[in-house]
Amino acid sequence: MRHGLICVCMLFALLSSTGLARAGAGDMNLDAQLIWGTNDTKTDAKLKPADPELVRKLRQSPFKWDHYFEMHREQIPLKLNQEKTVSMSRNCVISVTNLKDQQVQLRLFGKGVLANTVQQALPKGQLLIIGGNAENSTAWFVVLRQVEK
Amino acid sequence: MTQEQQLKLQAFVDGELPESDAREIAAWTARDREATALLGELRHTRQALKGFEPARLVPESREFYWSKIKREIERSAPAPAPAKVSPFRVLRRILVPIGAVAALAIIGIFTVRQLGSGNVHPVQVNAVLADAGAAYTYRDDAQSMTVVWLSYPAEKKLAQSPSADTLPAK
Repeated sequence: MRHGLICVCMLFALLSSTGLARAGAGDMNLDAQLIWGTNDTKTDAKLKPADPELVRKLRQSPFKWDHYFEMHREQIPLKLNQEKTVSMSRNCVISVTNLKDQQVQLRLFGKGVLANTVQQALPKGQLLIIGGNAENSTAWFVVLRQVEK
Repeated sequence: MTQEQQLKLQAFVDGELPESDAREIAAWTARDREATALLGELRHTRQALKGFEPARLVPESREFYWSKIKREIERSAPAPAPAKVSPFRVLRRILVPIGAVAALAIIGIFTVRQLGSGNVHPVQVNAVLADAGAAYTYRDDAQSMTVVWLSYPAEKKLAQSPSADTLPAK
């Protein structure tokens, strides 16, 4: 009985150390989404509804919109200190850098001009969102999060 | 007088002889002067000892009294030597706690690192606005999200398709 318990502990410790080594590599796999928020019920049927979990979070935030649609989505694998530029729409481009300790830098360009720079830790489960007003009391959001590799 | 005769005479004085032996000793002491002298000496000594050795009454029964003495003797007897312990058992006694402590330490480090990924590096938002607009940072710990809101004037043409622009015009 006692030997069995020790074996389980050792196995767990081994798996934990393996996980540490894997996490220490510093690579990140990011998921970037361009979301449109609106209260209009008469939207294009071809629009893809946003992820329900993301919608739930946005609805519980102070934002006033009821409907959210996924306009574009990109998977961005990043090695440590690597920077990638991704076009989210015709005039919306983001540049993401994997800094150390799960820190990311997100730069947002509108029509080729830098509009905003955000740098923060983005561990798994956290969301980094940059948003702004759009026409007819709607809004756009760039949602960045870390996903499994 | 032989030693056996002396012992018999002593037993006669103590009243420990059967009746037949007692009569025989009584007849012997009546005709033997040496035996008579020894008998008188023994009776005198016995009488003298009686005065200096008062009888002690034991509250318990005889069997119970002696069982107490027996238990006391057994209790004070030296404990038996411990059985020889095998080296494997000794090694196991050492390795078991060391292994457990090592496993707990590794688990602890792992847990601290896992928790630390969110706590050691607290969310620090550094929003820099590139033009004259304003940026507001909204942090919701319950929803695990940070929102940077850019308060531009609304875009004339909103993207309702991936090819459309979603950013405000300058």
